[in-house]
Amino acid sequence: MVNESEDKAAGSVRPRFDPRVFTPYFFILPAVLVIFGGLVYPIFDAFYLSFYDWKIGTPISSAPYTGLAHFKRMLFDEGVLESIWVTLRFGFWTVTIEMLLGVSLALLLEKPIRGASVFRTIFILPLMVSPVVVGLIWRYLFDARIGWINYYLGLVGIEPQVWLGDAELAFFAIVFTDIWQWTPFIFIIIIAGLQALPSEVLEASRIDGANWWQIIFFVKLPMLRSILVIALLMRLIDVFRALEVMYIMTGGGPGRATELLSLHIYNRAFDTQQLGYASAISVLLILLVFGLSFGILVIGNPFKEKSDI
Amino acid sequence: MNLLRKSMACLLGAGTAAVMLAGASASLADPYERYRGTTIVVSWPALAHFQAAETLIEEFTEETGIEVEIDALQYLKLRDRQLLEMSKPEGEYDVVSWVVMWKGEYVSKGLLTPLSQFFTSGSLVDPQYDIDDVADAYLQNGGVVGGKKGYMPGKSGALYGIPFGAETSILAYRKDIFEEQGLEPPQTYDELREVMQKLHAAGIPAMTSRGKTGHQVTAGWLLHLAPLGGRIFDDAWNPIINSPEAVEAAQVMREIAQTGPAGIPTFGFGEASAAFLQGDAAMYLDTLKIAAMSRNPNLSKIDGKVGYGQHPVGVRCGSETGGFAVGIPANSQNKEAAFLFIQYITSKAGDQRMVELGGDPVRMSTIENNADNFDEYPVVAAQLPCADPDWRPLIPEWNELNIDVLGQALTEVVTTDKPIQPIMDAANEKARAIMEREGYYAWAKYRSQ
Repeated sequence: MVNESEDKAAGSVRPRFDPRVFTPYFFILPAVLVIFGGLVYPIFDAFYLSFYDWKIGTPISSAPYTGLAHFKRMLFDEGVLESIWVTLRFGFWTVTIEMLLGVSLALLLEKPIRGASVFRTIFILPLMVSPVVVGLIWRYLFDARIGWINYYLGLVGIEPQVWLGDAELAFFAIVFTDIWQWTPFIFIIIIAGLQALPSEVLEASRIDGANWWQIIFFVKLPMLRSILVIALLMRLIDVFRALEVMYIMTGGGPGRATELLSLHIYNRAFDTQQLGYASAISVLLILLVFGLSFGILVIGNPFKEKSDI
Repeated sequence: MNLLRKSMACLLGAGTAAVMLAGASASLADPYERYRGTTIVVSWPALAHFQAAETLIEEFTEETGIEVEIDALQYLKLRDRQLLEMSKPEGEYDVVSWVVMWKGEYVSKGLLTPLSQFFTSGSLVDPQYDIDDVADAYLQNGGVVGGKKGYMPGKSGALYGIPFGAETSILAYRKDIFEEQGLEPPQTYDELREVMQKLHAAGIPAMTSRGKTGHQVTAGWLLHLAPLGGRIFDDAWNPIINSPEAVEAAQVMREIAQTGPAGIPTFGFGEASAAFLQGDAAMYLDTLKIAAMSRNPNLSKIDGKVGYGQHPVGVRCGSETGGFAVGIPANSQNKEAAFLFIQYITSKAGDQRMVELGGDPVRMSTIENNADNFDEYPVVAAQLPCADPDWRPLIPEWNELNIDVLGQALTEVVTTDKPIQPIMDAANEKARAIMEREGYYAWAKYRSQ
C-alpha cells in the first residue's frame, strides 16, 4: 500500500512525457551521423557499385549493370584467392609473432629496472612513423643493389639477395617490417594493462609462494585476457586494412607474393580500372573482417564479464 | 541642327571604327595579349625532361604574361589524378601530359579536346609552327588517335596531342668497360646475348632492365618483342603472346635478369636507370632519355663514359614508341591559353631551348641541328624510322593486359626457372578472355552466323 501511494505520488509529480529522455540520443547523434556518413554509406555505396561495371572518367549513370557477374567471377578468380591466402598467411605470422614479442617485452620491462624508460621510448618509436615512411625506409634497406642489409651481409661473405624480388624473401620482408612497426603497439597496450593490475592480487600470489613464471601464467595473463583479445582483434583488422607499406615496398610483387587483399582491391580499382569488380572484392573483404571479428568476440568477449557495469 | 547631328554621328562612327581598328591591330600584333594574366594548370610527370622544362615555362610566362602552375606527379600516378579531374564538369587542369598508352582510354571516354579546333584559328596558330617537322613516329604515337586499329597511323585518326618528352629506344653502353673487355657494341640480338654472357662471366653486371611486377616488367619485355618479330595481337585481335617470338623475348628477359645487376625483378624505370647511371651495369637498352640523364651530374657517375648504338636487330628493326604527349582536357576552362602554351613549348625555338636545358627534342630539325653536339643524336635520327607504331596496342584494355596478365606472367619468367611456354600459354588464354569480355570478337561472331 505504501509503495502504491508512493508510486502515485511520484506519478503525479512526473509529467507523462519527459523530453529529457531524448537527451542522450541528442548527444550521441553527431557520432551516429559521422559513423553513418563515413562508414555505413561507403559500405552501401561499394555494395551498389559492385553490381555495375564503372570506369573512372565516365558518368556512373552510363555504367552497364552486371548483376551478380562480379561476385561469380570473384569466386573463381585465382588472383583474389591468392590474395586471400597471402593475407591469411601474413596475418598469422605477423600477429602471432607480434603478440609473443609484445607480451614478452612488456613483461620484461614492467619492472622499474635501470634504463627501462629509455627502452620503452625506443620500442615505441616505430609506432610513431607514418606507414608510408616505414615502407620507404625498409624498401631502401632491403634494396638489392644499394640496401644496407645486403651491404652488411656482404661484409660477412653472404651473397647479395634480391629481397623484394623473390617471392619468399619479399614475403619475409613485409612480415618483418610489419613486426618491426606493430610490436610496440602490443607492447604499449600490455604494459598499460600490467600496470593497472591490482597489486593485492599479485601480493597474495607471492605470499602463497608462486614463482615468477607462475605469477605470469596463472595470475597476470589470465587477468589481462580482455586486453589481449582487444589487441589481437585490432591487429587482425589492421592486417586486412594494411596497404601503404606493401604498396611502397613491393607494390604487391613479385607476382602476387605480397599482394594483400586490400592492395589487390586497390590495384584492380585504379591500375586496371575495374571499379565495379574491385567493389565486389571489397564487399568480400568486409564480410571476412566481420566474420573474423565476430568469431573472436564470441570466443573471448572482453565485455562479457563487465556487462553488469 | 540636323547637320550638327550628322557631323557628330560621323565623328562618333569614325572614332568607333578607329578604336576597333586599333584594337584589331593590337591583337594582331600580340597574339598573347587577350590571355595575359590567365593562369593555366599543367599536369605532368616528375621526370628529368619535365623538370628541365620549368625554366622554359618561366620564359613563357615572361614573354606572354600567361601564368603557369605545375602539378608534377610520379608518372604512373598521373592517370588516376587526370581521370578524376577530367571527369568533373569543370576541371582544374588546362594541359595534361599522358603516357602514350593512355591516349586511347582518354579519347574513348571523351576527355580530350581535338586540336583541330585550334589549328583552324589564324590568330592562335603561329605560321612558323610547322607541325610536319615534328618526328612522325612521335606525333602518330602520342598525339593521333582513331587511325588503324584505333591507335596507329591511319586516315580515320585525329590529332589530340603534341609529343613532348616522347622517346624511342636506343642502346647505351659503357665505352670503358667494353674497351677493357675487348667487346664491340652489339648490333643484333645474338650479339647482345653473347655480350651479356661474356660480361657476366667476367663478373660485370651486363644489362639493366625494368622488371618490377606489372607495367614495368611488361615494358622491359616489349623492348625485345618487336625486334624479335613478335606482336601482342594479330589483325583479328587474337592474342599471340605465346608465339615462339614472344617466348624468345621472355627468354631474353630471363637472361637479362640472370646476368644483370642484382634486383632487376624490383626495378621500375627509376631503379633501372639508376643502376646504369651509378655504374652498376654495362648496358642500358631503353629510352633515349638515358643520354640526357647520363650528362646530369646530380643523377650520373658515368658522364663521358657512355657510347650509343641503335637498338639491336632481331628479325627486324623495331624500337620503342613511348614517352609523353601533351593535350587539352575537354573540361579545361582556358583552352586557348593552353593551346598557346603547348605551341610554345613544342615550337622550333621551344624545342631547341629544351635541348639547351637538358631535355629531349621532338623535332627532326632540332635533332639534325644538334647532331654534332650530342653523341646520341645521330643514333636517334637513324633509329626513328625503326620506331614501331604497333610496339604495343594502345587500346583502353591495354592497362589490364599490361598489368594483370603480362605483368604477372613475366614476373614468373624473371623470378623462376619454370618453362616459359606454359606461362605464356596461360597468359594468352587470360588475354583472350579479356578481349572476349570487352566485345572484340563480336564482329567475327556476327559474320560467321
